[in-house]
Amino acid sequence: MRLELTLNGSPVDLDEDPTATLLDWLRSLGLTGTKEGCGIGVCGACTVLGDGRPISACLTLIGTLDGVSVLTVEGVAQSEPTLVEAFVDCEAMQCGICTPGHVMAAAAAKLAGIGASADVDSEIRYWLEGNLCRCTGYETIVAALRSYLER
Amino acid sequence: MSADRAVFVSPTSLSGALEEMASGQATVLAGGTSVALLIGQRLIEPSKLVHVARIPELRAVHFDASRSAVRLGAAVTLAEIARNVELVAALPSLAYAAGVVGNPRVRSVATVGGALAHGDPRQDLPPVLISLGTSVWLSGPGGERSIPAATLATGFMETCVAPDELITGVVIPLPPGQRAHYSRFTPQSVADYPTVGVAASVRCDSNGTITDAKVALAGVASTALTVDAAGLLAGVPAGDADIAARLSEVARQAAADAEPIDDRLGSASYKRAMIAVWTRRALLACVAG
Amino acid sequence: MSQATAERPASRGDARAKATGATLYTADFDHSGALHVAVVRSDVPSGKIASVDRSAAEAVPGVVGVLLADDLPGVLCGRRVRDMPLIARGVVRYAGERVAVVVADTRAAAETAASLVEVDITELPAVFDPVDALDEAAPRVHEAPWSYPGAVVTEVMHPNLQSLVEAGDPDATAKRLAESAFSVEATYTIPSTKQGYLEPQAWLAVPQSDGSIRLRGTTKSPYRLREQVSTCLGLSPGELEVEPTPLGGDFGGKGAPGDAPLCVALARRFRRPVRLVLRSAEDLTATDARHPARVTVRIGCDPDGRLTAMSFDAVFAGGAYASHKPGVTVNLHGAVEAALGYKLPAWSTRSRVVYTNTVPKGHMRAPGATASVFAVESALDELAARAGIDPAALRAANLLGDGDRDAYGHSWEQARGAQTLEAALAALVTSASVPVPAGWSSGTGIAVYCRPTSAASTSLRLIPASDGSFVVEVPIPETGTGNHMVVRELLARALGVSADLVEVRQVATSQLPGDPGVGGSRVTVGMAVAVEELARRWAASEHDGAVEVESKASYPPVLSYAAQIARVAVDPDTGQVKVLELLSAVDVARVVNPVAHQLQIDGGAVMGFGSAVMEDSLEQDGLVWAANLGELKLPCAADVPRLTTILLEGGLGIGDANVKSVGELTNVAVPAAVANAVANAVGVRVRDLPVSAEKVWHALQASESGKVAR
Repeated sequence: MRLELTLNGSPVDLDEDPTATLLDWLRSLGLTGTKEGCGIGVCGACTVLGDGRPISACLTLIGTLDGVSVLTVEGVAQSEPTLVEAFVDCEAMQCGICTPGHVMAAAAAKLAGIGASADVDSEIRYWLEGNLCRCTGYETIVAALRSYLER
Repeated sequence: MSADRAVFVSPTSLSGALEEMASGQATVLAGGTSVALLIGQRLIEPSKLVHVARIPELRAVHFDASRSAVRLGAAVTLAEIARNVELVAALPSLAYAAGVVGNPRVRSVATVGGALAHGDPRQDLPPVLISLGTSVWLSGPGGERSIPAATLATGFMETCVAPDELITGVVIPLPPGQRAHYSRFTPQSVADYPTVGVAASVRCDSNGTITDAKVALAGVASTALTVDAAGLLAGVPAGDADIAARLSEVARQAAADAEPIDDRLGSASYKRAMIAVWTRRALLACVAG
Repeated sequence: MSQATAERPASRGDARAKATGATLYTADFDHSGALHVAVVRSDVPSGKIASVDRSAAEAVPGVVGVLLADDLPGVLCGRRVRDMPLIARGVVRYAGERVAVVVADTRAAAETAASLVEVDITELPAVFDPVDALDEAAPRVHEAPWSYPGAVVTEVMHPNLQSLVEAGDPDATAKRLAESAFSVEATYTIPSTKQGYLEPQAWLAVPQSDGSIRLRGTTKSPYRLREQVSTCLGLSPGELEVEPTPLGGDFGGKGAPGDAPLCVALARRFRRPVRLVLRSAEDLTATDARHPARVTVRIGCDPDGRLTAMSFDAVFAGGAYASHKPGVTVNLHGAVEAALGYKLPAWSTRSRVVYTNTVPKGHMRAPGATASVFAVESALDELAARAGIDPAALRAANLLGDGDRDAYGHSWEQARGAQTLEAALAALVTSASVPVPAGWSSGTGIAVYCRPTSAASTSLRLIPASDGSFVVEVPIPETGTGNHMVVRELLARALGVSADLVEVRQVATSQLPGDPGVGGSRVTVGMAVAVEELARRWAASEHDGAVEVESKASYPPVLSYAAQIARVAVDPDTGQVKVLELLSAVDVARVVNPVAHQLQIDGGAVMGFGSAVMEDSLEQDGLVWAANLGELKLPCAADVPRLTTILLEGGLGIGDANVKSVGELTNVAVPAAVANAVANAVGVRVRDLPVSAEKVWHALQASESGKVAR
């Protein structure tokens, strides 16, 4: 099926099986920053943005993306240096496998206006409930989001 | 370039969608996450996918002129409901439920229509809609029809939606003097299906007498469970000294009507006990203050 | 990269790459031309393979082969005991065991074909519970387990034993317990769970033009893996090289050879790169997981609260193969060391690991310790209640002190258990309160864990550059703990240069003599010792070329304590437990990198919290029902309680660097602390993990209706 979408700011014409997942397609292009974790949309390792909203690439059929602007961690790395700095400065990672997903969740949080409530810590933690991390205990990740959302 | 495993169409009109669905063999999707999951687990091999998320009338949120009801298009997402300022004010229990289901990625693409079409008794939205007296609108070759939300699910993961029919939206009444509340009990991780979910609404007249009450539950039967709360509460003053006892009666009824199963979320006996506890709590939240 | 200063050691060198998605893990590497592997697995826990129909699978376009046991070397693999075949040969012993493998040009084709392989298995009797498996009449999981290379059992032992370790004096202990003023006996159980790394196990085996294989994969011990696979497949040195690859988490789960022997065998046979990336469901239901355990503790004290005796008896369900366990005794050191932390005049321990028709079990962060400490620390609180003594006072009176000899006869120059506990208690008093929901009961519970650290030998190479910078080649992958950063920091200090001038590079196995692998809390200490030697060798050299070291230095082990306190609130109407705060007091020497150190403490505490309140693989009749991360609940950010850390500094570490380990300290005692806190809050005792709302609720119902005394 022919599709047109925007990937990290560049228009892309593709001809793919519409039931292929966005995750498989991205990784087939060599964009391996988006990871396969649980495969069922629970762990967040495959988080990307579709028209500015966070989605699970493992559960997104590529046929639904015609005309959609997709942003991956590779794109965010270019367009959001302050976000990357926040994660680096706060050391918001250990093994790093969940980190791209958390970075994307942070990017989505900013776009969604997260961080305006009276209890920012809770707000961030609930925003992150779909992004698992087994290494860090989340403290430095929450700190990184806090730092990024405050900027 | 891989061979297409299915025909995929994205109609931009309702009539277009119904035409594509006329064979009764098409699989409908909005966000598509449920379909993606089923394909990935090799449980379905659809030959035709009808993507309805681009149909404008399915995406609309419309309050009627007198603000006596609101219509949500079937493809309105949970995230859109949760952050819609008017919906948060008018239907706080719905906005709360929409904002707490799953995680932000789920809420980005999960839709009202999708939540209903699934017939999954563990999901939060259907009981909330039922408790609010919601009507579900469907369109098919024979025209339009509307049914109470409580009658949509017919069994575990089954609904009365015909294969060539599409849920187009829901209409939720906005009666004055209504307090509604949703409680979801997640004793393990907060990111989970509820062990029990209780959606309650209570309507009072200007004297503070209860005129209507609705209770519906998630996770306790093969479909969302509706409890006849009105029968037990109508005519009772909300401020009655005895109100707690009346609420407990409704709670007991809910526990008796339920058919919970043993699973990771809890044993049947524990769920039954929790139904009673949480039904009482949800109703108390409606009548207090 | 942020500048290093004396106050703030340089941040991890891989932070930017990880934050931008540039770090490549095994599944990210180019695999053009690779054969993809899909595994066909048994769906029954015990049986005879009657027939396998491959025809439909072989007809799938892109399939290159469907292999059964006879199509591959009939070898046995393992870390210590070599009892696991590449593919089940005639008999399946666990649900999830490999019964056939498909190799194809694409992963999709391989998986489609795998779903079409028809395996007919005639079910045989199976045994799932380790105590049942030790019954006279229990079905035998293996006919002759003593015959496997590396086996530590003999023909006269029960045929379902994988390992038996006994120590102490059971008769003297029983006598002392009988004479004790107060004693309790209770049995505690924990289920299986997974280590929870988010990167599924994966392998990429690439044949080289010289006939050797370069293997990339999810291994935290490349040299051991090379040894194990080579031994298993009969390879000579040089025929297998393991590539340096970062891991997406380990926690003990990536030390077993897993599917590596299979992939190497396939690569040798087909002379094409072979790639296997497990799906999450396979990883959760068929790879090495934590041993479920049943532990019975009898413990006694005199009226002054002096412990008189303890008997400790643990039975672990080891699963269908012993191959995942590396220890010399094929046992779990956490159980073997159960009597370590306290002064015990009389004691006996027994730890049995048993063959069962379940998924073979392996290591998880402080193997055996979660079960053992849950049991001992819960029993101590139960004893305290029986004796009318404050639980903290009971521990303080009995924890080892400096110079004390432990139950095993070892004298510890320093043992700061009492001070660590005191530090935790002091912090509790000053810690800001956490709101308790209206109508809930609150309580606190303590638990203490200690473990020894020793230096393991390892190897390093220092390569100077003309600009004054250095590359240090290391044999270990970065598993996430920040071990590369620690080496960098230690070496920079030892050389007297800025850490910015030191680059750490993992090299392939042929490049360095060896290393036992990441884990066992040995890396910081082992590396510290090796770094000291390396720096000495550099100082003594001409400074004009590379310098290498294979460290052999031995130091006496040191002891580390973690004392943890859980503050909980319990809803008496539902049994729901909210952990409001977890305080971890950790006995440390010199901290190399404070941020990395704190991350280990926090990550450990949250992992312990997960075990305490939610994790359970739901093994039932040999099947793992928590087959995805929606069913195996791991803590999310919104679940985590307030984490408070107290560091008791100035401890005795190892070597000039004066370092100790921290990686396996703070996950262990949390479940006991939570169970003790629940008992304190609502007077009921949960002896089975996880401490779930339903268990608490049932216990409350029972105590109310039966008026059971606390």
